[in-house]
Amino acid sequence: MASGQAGWANDPAVGERGDAVVILAELRVQGLTKRYGQVQAVRGIDLEVASGEFFVLLGPSAAGKTTTLRAIAGLERPDTGRIIMAGRDLTTTPVQGRGMAMIFQTFALYPHLSVRANFAYPLRRKGVASREIDRKVAAIAAQLRIAHTLERKPGTLSGGEQQRLAIGRALVQEPALLLLDEPLTNLDAKLRHDTRAEFKRLHRELGMTMVYATPDQLEALSMGERIAVLREGLVVQTGTPDELYLRPQNSYVATMVGAPPMNLVPATVQAGPPAPVIDLPFLRLSPPQAPAALEPGAELLVGIRPHDLTPALDDRPGPRFLARVQLTEPLGDVTVLDLAAGGQILKMVLPEAEALAYGVGKELPVRLVSEHAHLFDRASGQALI
Amino acid sequence: MAAAARRGRQRELGKAGWGWTALVAVVSIIYFFPVLWIILTAFKTRTDALAIPPKLFFTPTLDNFIGVFYRASISAGGAQETNFPLYFFNSIFIAGTSVLLALIVGTLAAYAFSRHPLRGNDTYLFIILTTRMMPPIVVIIPIFLMFRLSGLAGSYWGIILLYTAFNIPFSVWLVKSFFDELNPEIEDAARMDGATERQVFFGMCLPQILAGLAATFVFGLILTWNEFLFALLLTGVDTRTVPVAMARTLGGEVGVDYGLLAAIVTLFLIPIFFVTFLLQNQLLRGVTFGTVKR
Repeated sequence: MASGQAGWANDPAVGERGDAVVILAELRVQGLTKRYGQVQAVRGIDLEVASGEFFVLLGPSAAGKTTTLRAIAGLERPDTGRIIMAGRDLTTTPVQGRGMAMIFQTFALYPHLSVRANFAYPLRRKGVASREIDRKVAAIAAQLRIAHTLERKPGTLSGGEQQRLAIGRALVQEPALLLLDEPLTNLDAKLRHDTRAEFKRLHRELGMTMVYATPDQLEALSMGERIAVLREGLVVQTGTPDELYLRPQNSYVATMVGAPPMNLVPATVQAGPPAPVIDLPFLRLSPPQAPAALEPGAELLVGIRPHDLTPALDDRPGPRFLARVQLTEPLGDVTVLDLAAGGQILKMVLPEAEALAYGVGKELPVRLVSEHAHLFDRASGQALI
Repeated sequence: MAAAARRGRQRELGKAGWGWTALVAVVSIIYFFPVLWIILTAFKTRTDALAIPPKLFFTPTLDNFIGVFYRASISAGGAQETNFPLYFFNSIFIAGTSVLLALIVGTLAAYAFSRHPLRGNDTYLFIILTTRMMPPIVVIIPIFLMFRLSGLAGSYWGIILLYTAFNIPFSVWLVKSFFDELNPEIEDAARMDGATERQVFFGMCLPQILAGLAATFVFGLILTWNEFLFALLLTGVDTRTVPVAMARTLGGEVGVDYGLLAAIVTLFLIPIFFVTFLLQNQLLRGVTFGTVKR
């Protein structure tokens, strides 16, 4: 991949990663805030994205993902805060001069231009010579398997082809940083799966820094090298997929990451002896390690992953309780069971064949597989331990 | 893809069935009948035109059309040219220029209102429209006096300015609705691809609403083309438009020459038919803009 195209307003340093020469583009967002009228979309976001990293912004709609991306791109002027890439402050640099490309949720293809002209548009605007444009367009179209559509209008393409055109129009610019705003939301399920793999492959091959916004935890976990979980305009936790899954810092991240979401059960700490125990509506747990915060009377949320529940068919050790099946949700290879116990609904995931034994209304003993229970303060949602 | 299938089904001609087709055909004939009658009358002799019961079959004549351009004159010793070629030119020039000007100004204003809204945007839009709420007859005397005082009366510029001003509100509102329908992410994408604001406007926004612009142009043209009241008062001998000239043929010492009138109307219809026909495809897309999610 050639670097540092002539005519770029900024010309970041060039480094090596694997075989590919890549443009160094570590990105820092500092104290970003943005208000639209009465709505405070972003309340102070700090991000550090390493050069060549696949970084995901995960959060529900209105969490501030799109606003953050648009501020990085220069499409929005932040109220406060700074955008720094490769050591250069871009906060006030116009959108045209940032050397970034973006893939939009709606694909934002130019409907009145042919596929060829769509690909060529960014290159023309940057003053690339037309022979060079022809060569690059042919190459990218072949790479994305839409070379046969070059003379057609985007409206005549299938959903997958439109998506690839949107990707190609961004990649043909050889941007230092690629921003992706929920690019899979408008695709059907099968295509979404394929494109996830495609993004991962492209990222590995091109070594480009990517910032990817999505409300879908599956996309975040499967593609992201690091993930920032956003909530109401703030970063709640940043970490690798494993860190977020295994050590969520609060109950919000715990329920955002992992599917089906973690079960959260209200509980109270009871005084020993010998050690304090955690009193769930259907179960008593002795915490494996007694955190300092576990004072008798403390109100908690206990987080139990659906995968950490299993029918207690043998007498293996582990905390167990009785539950009744309320609902079954067969998903093909696995089935999600809604269990009622002590007035709570718990989700449990079983292999499909195993789940067949448990119809609605059936009562069964359930065992906690993992010793590790996630403990959160009930009022603040913060993880204890 | 489902949307494409839906559109495909809608375009399957004849699906509505013969009953509905016949009903629509009958209603269409009722609508078109006056136009048809005028065109037929244009080809009738004076006797045929006035015949009762009306004649549906007759020997056509071109005399009425010749009469539009030449009239018998004793002083000129035979045929004398009329001013109708000038009047036709005036109608085309005045309506065309003013509707085009209104479209240009209106499109720029519409883009600003749509993409860079002001505080109280809707209030300004409403105020722009209020000028079209008054019956024109209310303002005709003040406007006539202003035109006389400023020397605009009787000039091309005067009537063009007036028609432009009258067409702008309509253009702003209609074109704004087309801009509002566009996907703003396309403009953002163009900016990220390096386009300047001017390139975004001319290269992205305008091409996407061409159909809407065509529709706006034709609607404005039809309104202006047929305007009579202001043209009557504010045009002079040299700038007279066809509707005014037409009215002046009415009261002669020989009574109303219906054949001649019908010939003028028929000729008068041709340019507007032509423009509408030319822009037909754009028009259909323009008036259904936004009703189909693309």
